[in-house]
Amino acid sequence: MKKQIILFMNPIVTLTLQADLRYVRIASVTACNVAEIFADVACTAGNVAEFCHAYELSISEAFTNSVRYAEPSQPEKQITIRFSSDNSTLAASIIDTNPQFNPLTQAPDINSYPEGGYGLFLIHRLMDTVSYTRKDGTNMLTMTKRATIMHNA
Amino acid sequence: MKTLIVIKKQEYEWLLDLFPGVHPLLLPICNKPFIEFFVDFSIFTGSNAIRIVSDGPLRDVERYCENGSRWGVEISYGSMLPADELHSVIDKNRRFCQEERVVIISGFLFIHYDKKSDYASLFASLPSGELFSCGRGSISLTGTPVVETNTTTGASPFSLTALDSVGKYYRLSMDILKNGLTRYVLPGYSSESDCYIGRNVVIPKSAEIKKPVIIGNNVQILSNSVIDKNSVIGSNVIIDRESVISGSIVMDNTYIGEHLEVKDKIAAGNLLIDPESGTTIVMEDPHLLTSMAQSKVAGTLLRRVVHALAATLLIILQFLPWFLLRPILGIQGNWKRDKGQYHTGLPGKAFTMTKTTIGNNGPLCAIAKALSLDRFPLLFRVLSGKLLLIGSQPVLINPATRVIPNSMSGYRPGVFSYAEAEDWPEIGIDTEIVEHYYAVHGNPLKDIAMTQKALFNRTH
Amino acid sequence: MNISEKNINSYTILSLQGILNASSAPQLKTYIAGLPDAQSIVVDLENVEFLDSSGLGALVGIARRKKTSNAVIKLARMNERVKKVFEITQAYTLFDIYDDVSAAAEA
Repeated sequence: MKKQIILFMNPIVTLTLQADLRYVRIASVTACNVAEIFADVACTAGNVAEFCHAYELSISEAFTNSVRYAEPSQPEKQITIRFSSDNSTLAASIIDTNPQFNPLTQAPDINSYPEGGYGLFLIHRLMDTVSYTRKDGTNMLTMTKRATIMHNA
Repeated sequence: MKTLIVIKKQEYEWLLDLFPGVHPLLLPICNKPFIEFFVDFSIFTGSNAIRIVSDGPLRDVERYCENGSRWGVEISYGSMLPADELHSVIDKNRRFCQEERVVIISGFLFIHYDKKSDYASLFASLPSGELFSCGRGSISLTGTPVVETNTTTGASPFSLTALDSVGKYYRLSMDILKNGLTRYVLPGYSSESDCYIGRNVVIPKSAEIKKPVIIGNNVQILSNSVIDKNSVIGSNVIIDRESVISGSIVMDNTYIGEHLEVKDKIAAGNLLIDPESGTTIVMEDPHLLTSMAQSKVAGTLLRRVVHALAATLLIILQFLPWFLLRPILGIQGNWKRDKGQYHTGLPGKAFTMTKTTIGNNGPLCAIAKALSLDRFPLLFRVLSGKLLLIGSQPVLINPATRVIPNSMSGYRPGVFSYAEAEDWPEIGIDTEIVEHYYAVHGNPLKDIAMTQKALFNRTH
Repeated sequence: MNISEKNINSYTILSLQGILNASSAPQLKTYIAGLPDAQSIVVDLENVEFLDSSGLGALVGIARRKKTSNAVIKLARMNERVKKVFEITQAYTLFDIYDDVSAAAEA
């Protein structure tokens, strides 16, 4: 028997949405809410807002990218966002069936007035870790962020 | 009263090369970040709100100062463009600047002040306009005087120094240390004058410390070292034994090796800067001056050594069974070898590896599998440093897809993989999270335990 | 997202309200496209609850367009959440950013 449950992270919420930009807000608001519920326990008041905003923004970026890079041949494509956590770290994975992409990203050269390409760069800056895997035609972008616990002297 | 601090990137760019990774506004001047001198001065002028405006990044400054509640003032941040003149900066911050008088500090400059002077009533009574300038910066004031006074200010109670060279930075620090310690608000424990010592500072009996001196937090001074007078030691610093520091600034996170004499210099990480000529020497020898932040390298080295030792042990244990079973399995055709190009931990680099698979026929195969003999040839790659004993599953290079393992995910190929240790299905998305988790949170001892686990789990 | 328009001096002031992301950015672009290219604008961001890089991209696109037609775009009253996106991407180097709408419309 193979063990089935993730050893170090408990799944919290799994959200599956149609790959359509109209639903990006659902994804990011959910991320914000999940982050808020999680962070309420883990961090102090001042950091909760920042933690939630980081998740709201990152999921907004990741979902938008997922929709943008979807192949037009698959109109009923779905994107799944999976949140999981351990005591101090929240993780979110965005799973889609888009073509493979290279998740390493540089900051776009701002002086050339780029209209896009900030998405993954923002996620890298807002999150602690970002990893990308591809298996059996499925992309998974996983991000984690630790809720900082402030020790007041 | 409010204070508007306007700093252009161009004014401090020279510091970015010298002290990389430190925002110039957070550069310590006598154990206190530069920006705090501005904050203190603003408070002395009676300001209850401060806005810091720059055309460069302020993220680190914001992270340090936050909203200013630590000082009981309201700190906000604004941006400007490099070409903006002072009046357009004031326009851009009009809402901040209206209603109250505003002290405008423009330029990367140090304000010499004295905490005993009454700046609040002075600034309330001064007429608006430019008050002081020093060529590269100025202090001006807007609004009408609140109190009309006719006190003729004789000697001005403060002066300005533009920080535009490392020599000026050094002389300023030394000047504060020698003459100005009582004028500014400095943190640290001070049982006697001219001597400020931070928290968690270890000083052995044999070490000698002469004042004036400032020492930060978490500092270790080893035996027979001398901190001669006029020295500023930052935080997280180690002065190794029998070294002499005099008239020098040792920046945060710096290790000063043993038997060294640092005189009239600035030591920062692995740089030794001569403030008069501005020349810097990069210390090649890691034993002389190395940043403690590089301990990661030592960590990897330790990991390698532990892995190599454990691999040697496994080689000794597996040798006899391998020696007996390998020829039989080979004849039976149950010892299949597959040569392939695999990713190394470094982007763009590859290595060749032969992967062995054992067939599924008969008890001999079962024994060989149980003993993980298929991995035996790979153990030697651990000794040569190509593989870790336990790490990520080696990823085959597929020229068709050209996927690059993300350097962020901590991919390091190993003979065994963490996923195996946790009995994770070898394919599947979660495998890489497991590997990533241990790559980040692992340590050599844990690795040994995980290898045992992998050896055990593979038999089932 | 709601866009309301008024004119101060020679500037058109656009006050945005709501969310500026990939689903609402096209709305802003269409709105701007309806104004003459040479019209200088001030975008009041005080009531923008959320802005992501798609929203930022739209603003950057407008800035580029205004630059080629010798008009200007100014931003006013950014809140902390919006400011954060500008700070990370260093987009603050492309815009004149004011804390007051009337000051932006004067200069």
